[in-house]
Parts: sequence; structure tokens; C-alpha cells
Amino acid sequence: MMNALKRTPLNKVHRDLKARLIDFAGWELPIWYTSVLEEHRAVRSGVGVFDVSDMGRVWVTGKNAGRFLDRILTRPVQKLETGSSMLNMMCLEDGGIMDDLWLFRVEADRYLIVWNAANIREKHDWLSRWSGSDPDIAIEDVSADTAMVAIQGPGSRHMKCLSGLADLPRFGYTETEIAGLKAFAARTGYTGEDGFEIITGAVQALPLWESLVEEGAKPCGLAARDSLRLEAGMLLCGQDMDSSTNPFEVGLGWLVDFDRGDFVGREALLDIKQRGVARKLIGFQVDGREIARPGYPIVKSGREVGKVTSGGYAPTLDVNIGLGFVPVELSAVGTAFDIMIRNRPVPARVVSKRFYRRGV
Amino acid sequence: MNPKDYKYTKDHEWLCPETDNKAKMGLANYAQSQLGDIVFLDLPQPGAQVEQFKKLGEVESVKAVSDIFSPVSGKVLEINQAAIDEPKLVNEDPYGAGWLVRLELSNAAELDALMDIDAYDKYEAEALAEGAD
Repeated sequence: MMNALKRTPLNKVHRDLKARLIDFAGWELPIWYTSVLEEHRAVRSGVGVFDVSDMGRVWVTGKNAGRFLDRILTRPVQKLETGSSMLNMMCLEDGGIMDDLWLFRVEADRYLIVWNAANIREKHDWLSRWSGSDPDIAIEDVSADTAMVAIQGPGSRHMKCLSGLADLPRFGYTETEIAGLKAFAARTGYTGEDGFEIITGAVQALPLWESLVEEGAKPCGLAARDSLRLEAGMLLCGQDMDSSTNPFEVGLGWLVDFDRGDFVGREALLDIKQRGVARKLIGFQVDGREIARPGYPIVKSGREVGKVTSGGYAPTLDVNIGLGFVPVELSAVGTAFDIMIRNRPVPARVVSKRFYRRGV
Repeated sequence: MNPKDYKYTKDHEWLCPETDNKAKMGLANYAQSQLGDIVFLDLPQPGAQVEQFKKLGEVESVKAVSDIFSPVSGKVLEINQAAIDEPKLVNEDPYGAGWLVRLELSNAAELDALMDIDAYDKYEAEALAEGAD
């Protein structure tokens, strides 16, 4: 191995459980512990626990922190009240997507960014570039000193060690104690289920994990994380969207608010919005048992019209689903096309991206 | 435990010779455990000819798709419809109910190119050690 993989504070747990470990954006993480399907189902019907310490955690503080974030994010930070959180997005000047992220406003001048593991260096360079040498903006990456754990599934709110979080509204968060450990907890997630994401100090991660597992939370790996988010129609940055895609073509135009002053990418994004997009990221269902994997061509009338960006078996629905780009004229629900799966055309059709929606 | 009387390939397929030049084949336990939950099998139709160590079909797990290679040359006599209908049989019982294809061997001498249990156990242990770090 040329580059040693980074290990999360929970690495020992994964090794002790004999999980299958892989390289995920430079992190050594479990792809699964025993079975993807069992892990997936545990989250849909009970509780699963994920080591998501690979996610970047960055504090942005100071008198000009809000103004700075407003400048580099597509949704205005002013609308975010202290004590609330929002999904937001960072775009390049040409409107290309750099990352989607959760932003927590913890105090008036104190914000926490939680974003994807991918392209972490580029994103930091980007923050430095736009913050310049302003002494009233402090940027501190605490990813290495902390761990992050996601507890997901309908049973999450009934966990005894999380009882202090039961009244937290969706997307709300609190700085609290869990099982006697100081933690930052938010009612957020990436699975389409109710649940929490908890940030603790690196040394507290293990006891937190153990109390969750003792109470019945099933350890879940990256593969279940992927199949759960795909079923819920959630995009993965670096796969379904990246700097070569814009928010409007992937259905995240609602994260772009023009009703305010200048921000990075504003001009390009306004232009894209006014001209309209040529292609769209759609959801599809495969009428076959083969899985349409990322990169497979989408074909209409013998001509390649797009590519699959995500694809997999949807355990809850027992069908094969995916996301991919097609020209706008082929993006209506019900439109049929073929996906070339290892040189064989397999029929598929456009369906809503919200493949799975949890009951109320 | 890998069955004693089976023969194995470097790609972690097994062959279980029967009498009169017939044999069943499938995926070794190592292969199924590396693949994870199997969701789809693409196997040749009965009557098809296959060649030793050449692609015989495909196995698709939640995470990846892999080629299946034939341990020997010959003709496909039968495929395991139960495993096609319920691919998790391959995960649950790779050497029994999860068999894949029954073949008629065209050249019994090819068996010499396969590993016996001792050679394979060692080969598997090396593969596991490599994967562990």
C-alpha cells in the first residue's frame, strides 16, 4: 500500500467485528459487517449505527463568519436562526457543484459545517481563498479530533441512551450529554429514516458506540449507507453530482437563492437557470435483475443519451434502481430507455427519485 | 469448511466430480464471502459449451459484478434454477444448495490443473491474509 488509509476513532471496533474494510475517500471503513441486506433492513425497521467519522467537520467562527458563508454558499445564511440547521451547497464560479453540506448555526457568530469526505483539500483551499486574511473569520477543522456516528431507523427515538434527544425537531440539534459523554447531536441523516447524527470527541466515540450497540443498534457499513440513501433518492456528491454538474440539472435548484446580494457562482447559476438545463438527473427502475452500475450507458433508439451515476438493488422495494443523466426530453416519469449492462441492452424507465418514502 | 473431495480453481470456484465424467460446480466460500449478498446470477443455458478457465457466467452482488470461470471444459447439462430464483442460496450454502452448473467434462485430464483440498486451503488462507491488511 502506497498511501496509508486514515483510520477513524472507531477503527478498532470494525476490526474486532471482522468487518470487510475498504478505502473510502482515503478512509479505511467497513463496507459491511455481516450482510448488506440485513444491515439495510435493520435501518428500515429498527435501528442501525454507522461510523460516519469520514465526514468533514469544520467550525467557522468570528464577526464576519456569517457574511463569509453567505458569500460562498448558495443559500443565504442570514435566514438561518441560531439553534437551527440547513442543507446548503457550495458552488464554483461557473456554477459547478463543489459539495452539498449541512450548516449548523450554533451561536450568532459560530457555525459548524458538516460535509463529505471527498475533495476535502480542494474544499479547504476554497475556504481559505474566499476568507482571505480577514482576522474576523476563523476556520477550524475538527475532523481529526472528533468522531461522528449516525443512528438511523424508526427505533432511534426509542433508544434509552438517546432519550434526551426524543423531542429534537427534524434538522434540530443540541449540545448535550449522551451516556454521560459530551456530544453534539442533530436530528439528521442520510437514509430516509428518522435518526440522529452525533459528534463526540475521538476518545468518547468507543463508549458511545458500545452503549448504542448494547441497546440493539446494528452496526452498518458503507454499502448499506449507499443503498439506503439511494432508495431515499438522496444524491452522493462526487458520484451523482460534481464540479461538472450544476444544481438545476440534479434537482437541487431549490438550494440556490438569488433573492439577495452576490455570492460565488451567482452569475453563472442565474444564467443556467434562465437558459434552462439540457439534461436532468432522473431516477430509473430496471426491468431486469441486473444491476445498472455507475458509468453504464443509457441508450435510446440505439444511441447513447446519458450515463448511470448510481445504481443498485433496492432491498426494501425488491427492484433494481438507479440515478442517471438523460436529456430533458427523456426525463418525464414513464419514459422508457435501455441501459447497456455489459454490452446487453436492459429495459428501464424513468420513475420518481423518491423511490422509497417512509410512512408517517 | 471447504469440502474434502472437491477440486478448486484459483478464481475460487469449486468442482465436485461425480461418476461418468459429470460434475457440479459452484463458488467457493471465499468467493461468496468476498462478494457479499448475491442478488443475480447469469448462467449459460443447458447445452452450451464451456472451456476450462474461461468465462462461464456472471455473479452480481449488491456491491460488485464478477465473472464466473469454468473449472473444466465441457457441456452444460443443468443449471441450478433454485439459485437463480434465490441467489442468496449461494451465500448460505455455497457447496450444497447454492451450486451453479452441472457439467459433462470433455477432457478428464483437465482435473489435474485444479487444486485439491490441501492446496486450496493454503491458497485460501493466503488470500485471506492478503485481504486482511
